[in-house]
Amino acid sequence: MNADLDRLLINALLALSAFSTLHARQLSLASAGFMAIGAYTSAILVVKAGWPLFLALPGAVLVCGVVALIIGLPVLRLNDVYLAIATLGFGELVRIVIILNPDWTGGPTGANLSTGFGYEAMKQTQTWMLVAFLAFLIYLFHRMARSRTGRAFRAIRENPSAASTMGINVVGYRNFAFVLSALIAGAAGAFYAHAVGSLDSTDFKFSRAVDILSYAVLGGAGHWLGPLLGAGVLTELPILIRDGVGSSVDFLKNFVQLPNILDGLALMLAIVFLPGGLISLADRIPAWRTRSRRRTAGPPTAGVVAPSAVASGVVLTLEDVTRSFGGLTALSQVSFTLEAGRTYGLIGPNGAGKTTLVNLVSGLYRPTSGRILWKGREIRRWPAHRIAAEGIARTYQNIQLFSEMTVLENVVVGRHARIRTNLVTSWLHLPQENREEAAARTLALDLLRRLGLEAVADLPAGKLSYGDQRRVEIARALAQGPELLLLDEPAAGMNDVETERLAAFLLELKKTGLTLVVIEHHMDLIMKVSDELLVLNFGRLIAQGSPDTVSRKPTVIEAYLGKD
Amino acid sequence: MDLSLFLDPTYLGQNLVDGLSRGAVYSVFALGFTLIFGILDIVNLAHAATYMWCAFFGWIVLSVFGLPLPVALAASMGAGALVAIGLELVAFRPLRREGAEPLAPMISSLGASLILVSIAEAVFGSATRRFPGTVIDPKPLEFGGSGGLRVTWAQILILGVSLALMAALGWFIRKTRMGMAIRAVAASRKASQLLGINVNAVVMTTFAVAGALAGAAGILVGLMTNNIFPGMGAQIELRGLAVVILGGMGNIEGAVLGGLILGVVETFTIAYLPSGADLKDAVAFLILFLILWVKPTGLLGKSAGTRA
Repeated sequence: MNADLDRLLINALLALSAFSTLHARQLSLASAGFMAIGAYTSAILVVKAGWPLFLALPGAVLVCGVVALIIGLPVLRLNDVYLAIATLGFGELVRIVIILNPDWTGGPTGANLSTGFGYEAMKQTQTWMLVAFLAFLIYLFHRMARSRTGRAFRAIRENPSAASTMGINVVGYRNFAFVLSALIAGAAGAFYAHAVGSLDSTDFKFSRAVDILSYAVLGGAGHWLGPLLGAGVLTELPILIRDGVGSSVDFLKNFVQLPNILDGLALMLAIVFLPGGLISLADRIPAWRTRSRRRTAGPPTAGVVAPSAVASGVVLTLEDVTRSFGGLTALSQVSFTLEAGRTYGLIGPNGAGKTTLVNLVSGLYRPTSGRILWKGREIRRWPAHRIAAEGIARTYQNIQLFSEMTVLENVVVGRHARIRTNLVTSWLHLPQENREEAAARTLALDLLRRLGLEAVADLPAGKLSYGDQRRVEIARALAQGPELLLLDEPAAGMNDVETERLAAFLLELKKTGLTLVVIEHHMDLIMKVSDELLVLNFGRLIAQGSPDTVSRKPTVIEAYLGKD
Repeated sequence: MDLSLFLDPTYLGQNLVDGLSRGAVYSVFALGFTLIFGILDIVNLAHAATYMWCAFFGWIVLSVFGLPLPVALAASMGAGALVAIGLELVAFRPLRREGAEPLAPMISSLGASLILVSIAEAVFGSATRRFPGTVIDPKPLEFGGSGGLRVTWAQILILGVSLALMAALGWFIRKTRMGMAIRAVAASRKASQLLGINVNAVVMTTFAVAGALAGAAGILVGLMTNNIFPGMGAQIELRGLAVVILGGMGNIEGAVLGGLILGVVETFTIAYLPSGADLKDAVAFLILFLILWVKPTGLLGKSAGTRA
């Protein structure tokens, strides 16, 4: 049997487990804990319950998945820091449970011959099974990276808040990533138990969790290949050092802490000097870069993006909406209604509460009091991704693009809620996925063409000029197929020519029946496109009406120019 | 649960004293977490490794050099401050740059922790070290004759030192210029920078204070459990994190309150639950998990932990 090869393969599995959460920008330290659960559960099922391996292994993996849901559901809705803390605690808890149940686990002495776990009964897996399982996982990750799910993860990785307003259920995806990570760690643990033939709770102590993390961090969490590289380097490097330099240096021969120290160093050095990990070096190879930026779009069509369903009458109603931050009231008892197909200019001095209003309607903030009705339904408690999926799109005053993704990809992310392909279809490689992806790309390219961005479609969005980035945001929001579009200072940072083109585009957009809310300080743009003005000052709505009447109102003039 | 025991006032009092002195150590340790979280919004996951090294350092001062306890306490706090400053310079400061991954400082502190613990294992082995018996009078004070309340000198010292440290910290944070600067940086790093506060100096001072607290905790735990080994950090790390979450992340009063609560609950678990001694290690996790379910902002926390 090749013990070294088994260990390398198991570490590769563990690295993929760490990748799963890290890729979703979550720091989980639970891998060692789930590995322990998988290892002990499978060992107990095989040795004590007499299950065959092909049932015990999946059983153990399933247990890990259930436990991950119990841990993840409360914790993943919180800030990033909490997952690290909760999973660190979880790892310790698992070890305590193992030690306190000697009848089942062998307790502190471990699961070995002396505690009733026979080596022959335990030792069941063959290296080829590990290879096959790893290959299977790599296939899943490979398909996932190219699917809508993979794109959603990349968006979450770059900007979770913007991702949620694209209709991506960020908490849901993070839970999925955490459960997937637990399933893989559990499988790795079960393989470990049956490859080694005995278990010891110290195999799963906290330093193991850090080792596993170091594989993914050194390799890089941007692509599934990274962690595999990291696991390879960090598994083999200590062996090379010990066999190479160590053969002449006595101290190194018995230096059992060497792997841990190397892992710790790898973590610290990689995070400071190579934040993208080893895999980010591949971006410097031109062939890899063009491959990963390849565009696969169908022939261009002359279609115009129309709202998914043109509504009529009142679409949005705010009733006495108030939002305060600590002692500061950003919005105070704001009430108004928006009618379908009309364009509203939302104006007011800086700090009047305009962006707060957009954040409330798009679900990034919750109102302190009051009601928000979307086509008659109360949406104040809806998460941002649901609001986006129901037809409200927005752009940001402070540009929130996924800056590492290409312009085209950014716009395709906007289609997230409209693409129905799920992971199963993409794992099975069903034709539906290709069809939907091609359609989404065609539509995205169409939008980019109409906004004059076709030439930069394959550039990373972060590389574009300010004005271009604003237009990408508009294209991305339109890709969502919204019925209501909230534009937060779309012309900020644009020159006069760009602003004029934007005005023309907005006028064209009005014809499609889309309801628009435009926040702007360029008054000529506002006057040109708006059917109606809403004026905010110090968090209160001080005027609503046609541009002519509102701009003559004394309170409005006073708000802009001051008294006297 | 044995109710007759619960009603016995001496037994209850005894457990309260034991629990509070245990909890006081947790508070001192957890304050280090909370201070760093307060100004940087991240958890220094090498705090427990710092504490472990300080305990060993105290052991060297006491056992190898045979110096008295106050010297060991001061030396250990100084060592803790130095280790923490080193961590700030190596693991945290390089990552306080524009566009850095938000999780990066926690990841690098994990790496630092793994290195510190591994070196300790290589240097000291896994054997347990103990403070010499002459450090403190082992004979407890007895109140109410035999069978009455027993308070050890170690407990008195632990409570005294902990309370003194917490009071000193409170004074430092509230009344000194540096304390005010720390609070300003905690409120907004950017605004503090614009106001001319040297943020790096403030952060480094905070690390020094947090490290000194880890050093004190190392000595106090040494007195309490008399059990010093490279893996000792893992035992208190989870407790410290449970304490800061219980009290509210970044909240100083919360860390004090949370530590005392955890100490008392652990002691009562041992005293009143069947096989409680085994369960006591799980108490911290259960409290941690419960509070994350019910009130993630903690008992005294204000800012919402929920993401948008």
